[in-house]
Amino acid sequence: MNTWLNRRVVKSITVLLVIFSVVGLLPGVSAQDETITLTMTVWDLATTPYWQAVVDAYEAQNPNVKVELVDLASADYGDVINVRLSGGDDTDIITVKDIPQYAAMLTRGQVIPLNDYIDAAGIDLSMYSGAAEELTYEGSIYGMPFRSDIWIMYYNKDIFDAAGVDYPANDITWDEFDALARQVTSGSGADKIYGALFHVWRSCVQLATVQDGMNSVISTDYSFMAPMYNMVTAMQKDGIAPDYGEQRAGNIHYSGPFLNGQVAMLPMGSWFIGRMVSDKEAGVYDFDWGVTAFPHPDGVEVGTTAGTLTSLAINDKSDNKDAAWDFVQFYSGVEGAKVLAATGNLPAVRTPEVLEVFASRDGMPAEIAEALQTVTVRLELPMHENVGEIEQILNEAHDLIMTRSVSVEDGLAEASERVSDVLND
Amino acid sequence: MRASYPTALGTYHNCQNTQKKGKSLIMGLSFQATTPSKRRRQLSKHLVAYSFILPNLLGFAIFTLIPIVFSLGLAFMSWDGANEISWVGVDNFKELRDDTTFNIALKNTLWYVTGTVPLTMACSLGLAILLNQPIRGKNIFRTIYFFPYVASLVAVAAVWNMLFFPSAGPVNELLRALGVDNPPRWSASIDWAMPTVVMASVWRGMGYYMVIYLAALQGIPAILYESAKIDGADMWQQFRYITLPMLTPATFFISIMLTITSFKVFDLILVMTNGGPGRATNVLVLHTYNTAFRRFEFGYSSAIAMVLFAMVLAITVVQFYMEKRWVEYSQV
Repeated sequence: MNTWLNRRVVKSITVLLVIFSVVGLLPGVSAQDETITLTMTVWDLATTPYWQAVVDAYEAQNPNVKVELVDLASADYGDVINVRLSGGDDTDIITVKDIPQYAAMLTRGQVIPLNDYIDAAGIDLSMYSGAAEELTYEGSIYGMPFRSDIWIMYYNKDIFDAAGVDYPANDITWDEFDALARQVTSGSGADKIYGALFHVWRSCVQLATVQDGMNSVISTDYSFMAPMYNMVTAMQKDGIAPDYGEQRAGNIHYSGPFLNGQVAMLPMGSWFIGRMVSDKEAGVYDFDWGVTAFPHPDGVEVGTTAGTLTSLAINDKSDNKDAAWDFVQFYSGVEGAKVLAATGNLPAVRTPEVLEVFASRDGMPAEIAEALQTVTVRLELPMHENVGEIEQILNEAHDLIMTRSVSVEDGLAEASERVSDVLND
Repeated sequence: MRASYPTALGTYHNCQNTQKKGKSLIMGLSFQATTPSKRRRQLSKHLVAYSFILPNLLGFAIFTLIPIVFSLGLAFMSWDGANEISWVGVDNFKELRDDTTFNIALKNTLWYVTGTVPLTMACSLGLAILLNQPIRGKNIFRTIYFFPYVASLVAVAAVWNMLFFPSAGPVNELLRALGVDNPPRWSASIDWAMPTVVMASVWRGMGYYMVIYLAALQGIPAILYESAKIDGADMWQQFRYITLPMLTPATFFISIMLTITSFKVFDLILVMTNGGPGRATNVLVLHTYNTAFRRFEFGYSSAIAMVLFAMVLAITVVQFYMEKRWVEYSQV
């Protein structure tokens, strides 16, 4: 009995081994026609249509290349990439979500400089209107920008109509914004209409403080932020804008109150355009909306705004760096930009023909072309090796001020002191 | 349910006995097992025994033991997770002194532990005594109170934040109805954020410890209460001189487990407040996490973890030392 059983076991294991080795050979056979498989990390594949769209366009032109997308959750994308790269992961193309992630990867030598490739391909970096310069660190550039969002302002036309107030002009200052918000605020309880909404992000307040180009978000003296913080905290105190503490405690996304028709004006990034268009089609809301350029401080030209950059980097551990570069070049170039624009996202390349593709989509408000015209785009967070630590300090200061736990002056003084410590180390 | 706790305790003691027996068995073997066949048989017996603990031991070694040892070493090094590791000696520990966030996190952690441990113990004991009474539907209540412990933490945090919503949350609506004009802003205020987290944590943990207390309560022999009644002891005296002393082994176990888990608090804070407002609820594990995964200072982060480890170890040793003074292991 025992020996029979053993024989049977040995036999079935042998059969299994044969099957496995045959199966294992299959990719080896197909590899003969030299298909290159590239891997690329992305976030929220299911809800972000452009990833696959650009890959499809590339694969159609390059039948011998297959691009596999590695889908990660957007909330902890930076952490996961960090752990993967530290563990020697060899994914070819790394999508760079924000500057802290970019800084972390390049200071640790996990991604390669692309200057040689750029020179060889003869790419004119000026088509990125400054984005490439923002990504340059000590003379080298490690990421090719493909998507670049800017801050604009969305407004609910129905609320302005009901209040009998003219729609905001494309060119308004923050003071005018404050005054307008107070004019259109009305009601209470369930009928409350807020004049404006500042989302909980630090950038929602701090971006406006560096629009004039006199100061940087990385600084040793943050007192220049006081006027904007005073304005925003006063608006919240007076019930003109929803309360920060409640937005945080309730984990309230900015789209909720705005799409509900409870908010007249929403300063937000251009990434929200796609959502506005598709939600209107889906019948999530039915009011008319418009956009203007980002409000600006007195004396600053309209079209001065802040922006975010999403870029592509090549992993130092990649075995297919040349093939990866070819894909990155396509993605970040004019052809990739057109595909991206057709999905309702703003590419980093903003040639008139690319913007035309973007603005001609169904459901875009008429003001969009004017609102998207930029004079100067400042990066939300400049490149710095300690940017992760500094951002955390700024987030904590923002939190303290906005919950009105400390005064604006004290909160900014504490941030100045702590960031100075980091910079002096 | 009735027999489970005594068995659990029994197993604990038995374990120690078996360990002793096991030792003598192995020692005895080396002298007694003389014939090769006997030795081989004994050896295969041991191998079988070891094979039973191997899966667990392997998992423990790979995912717990090795990382702990690695982290112990890292505490004296500097490493960003990618480049070369370099030896820095005790510099990481010196840096702790001037790290304001570390000092705040240390204070917050102690605050959290001193709030959570006694409150959870009192609440779970109270619940256990209530649900040990012959009341209708007590099993349903026991399940209800145990439920938070198995519920998803993210959901728990979201529900608590809604309950304590500053303007229109049910808690503040109730407080206003009771005549409190300016109810606290709970997790949106630096003064109330920590108490809010402590309350959520007590609510979440008390069901689990209630079960342990319940089992212990049912292990108290009824004859003790009978004789006390005959001697004329009232309810309070019975509780004070029979129930509490008889519960001390369970209390000891719970106090140690609770202290350790409280020092390790991370998940609840991450999802409820993320250490805020500002740094008002930043705790040591959160600071460790931020240092490692936001600032990529794995060495310094390990040093913080070692401080936490040393504190928990010291407190646990003291608790075990004090055990003799107050824990009753009387056999009835």
